[in-house]
Amino acid sequence: MQTRSWTCFLFAAVAMCVMSWPLAAHHAFGSEFDANRPVILKGKIVKIEWINPHSWIHVEIVKPDGTKEIWMCEGGSPNTLLRRGANKNTFPEGTEVIIDGYQARDHTELRANARNVTFPDGRKLFLGSTGTGAPNPEDFSTEKARKEGK
Amino acid sequence: MRSRFLLLLMFLAFAAAAQTPAKKYNPARLPDGHPDLQGTYDAATLTPLERGSGTPLVMTKEEAAKQEALAVSAKQQGDKAIDGNRSAPPKGGDGSPGPAGNVGGYNTGWLDPGSTFTVVNGEIRASIIVDPPDGRTPPLVSGAAHRGDSYRLTSIVGLLQAFVTARPRPTSDVTESSDPGLEKTPGAYDDPEARPLGERCLLGFGSTSGPPMLPNYFYNNLHQIVQTPQRVMILTEMVHDVRVVRMNAQHLPKNIRLWLGDSVGHWKGDTLVVDTTNFTDKTAFHGSTPDLHVIERFTRVDDHTLLYRFTIDDPQTWTKPWTGEYSWPEAKGHIYEYACHEGNYALKDILKGARLREKEEAAKAGSK
Repeated sequence: MQTRSWTCFLFAAVAMCVMSWPLAAHHAFGSEFDANRPVILKGKIVKIEWINPHSWIHVEIVKPDGTKEIWMCEGGSPNTLLRRGANKNTFPEGTEVIIDGYQARDHTELRANARNVTFPDGRKLFLGSTGTGAPNPEDFSTEKARKEGK
Repeated sequence: MRSRFLLLLMFLAFAAAAQTPAKKYNPARLPDGHPDLQGTYDAATLTPLERGSGTPLVMTKEEAAKQEALAVSAKQQGDKAIDGNRSAPPKGGDGSPGPAGNVGGYNTGWLDPGSTFTVVNGEIRASIIVDPPDGRTPPLVSGAAHRGDSYRLTSIVGLLQAFVTARPRPTSDVTESSDPGLEKTPGAYDDPEARPLGERCLLGFGSTSGPPMLPNYFYNNLHQIVQTPQRVMILTEMVHDVRVVRMNAQHLPKNIRLWLGDSVGHWKGDTLVVDTTNFTDKTAFHGSTPDLHVIERFTRVDDHTLLYRFTIDDPQTWTKPWTGEYSWPEAKGHIYEYACHEGNYALKDILKGARLREKEEAAKAGSK
């Protein structure tokens, strides 16, 4: 029960945070994703498509029956991250991540929105600097990401 | 007598010195003698287009610092670690508003909306609009109020209405946060052309490419200027929109209409003046007509900053012209290509999502 309240509290905190940002999405996520299909994806990055208008993070997950699935998760524009010093080697293949979001309305597609992308300990992969595009290389050190991927 | 004369000379010298204005900034110049405006600029700012009713244009340092600290705090809050053992978000949606449509968007790490208010002439500004002096767009003329409504193709009547009233389709200046969702706007998902221009990768949202070029308060607010005596090119990162300003040229004939308008330029002193007309009905800035007239002024104010000033005139839309200005500081990073169509999987998924939704609703109606 305590865990449940804690989870509720966390959800409320995250929701408040997301809602406090006036523009949390660039296009109509509401039509793209299904509010009745929440997902939590724990797995390894197999590919990141650094493309516009949105990045797509491909994650391989192992289902309870041992079979594997590769999900595509929609993030934001890569340009902001590139200006902060991230590049295609920043999150190498095999980096363990947890992504929460909602599946595409078309359930034949293994696609979801990446509401939050974190390392297993809950730290966010994509940290924003407070300046306008000021590089924050420490947050994107390949070495650091590799360590987290172990 | 001689000492009196000396005193007079000293007085005149002092008076002349007191009246000499501060040394005028002399920008670096190109071989044609005009200021070099070239560079990459980051137009991101916290300063909104309009300011609150009754509030002054110039902010105090304390007020600005307070607001800027709030923005930093919101960003830090968004960047904070969360529970690694979290479960999936709630079934039925997370309650997020706007385009995040109850499923959430993505977190603050992806965003770069600016963290400071714009500074012009040493003043911290509370709005981009400086004229009218209240910092608000002037009243609309009668009949212009509903012109900015979205294009709706819900029926033959709707189609005829759109045709007869020439109601514009979704335009580049609306933020997609105004997307009202499936239930509230019938027809908004009926065909790709009913979707906002930003979502379709045609132009950046929030009038980033303009003119007038405005911050989108979201991310990628960069512009690059390349200058020759004959042409000035302005590249806007969102969505890789390019304007080519023809210097000392005449406007195109009225029947030739362009998405970003037809821009011609000339120098007035050290200021580049760009005059744009010949817009289409596909882009309506705040509900303007294709007869919108925009005059922009680009002035280098120091080695690292341009002042961008614009005047909007469209007598069919506003009761009088209005003017805004804000600084473009030199960007700290590179401008990157924004090849939007390359990865726009979302548009297909949005439209397919709408079709599936319609099927579900039809099935529900059928089973009743």
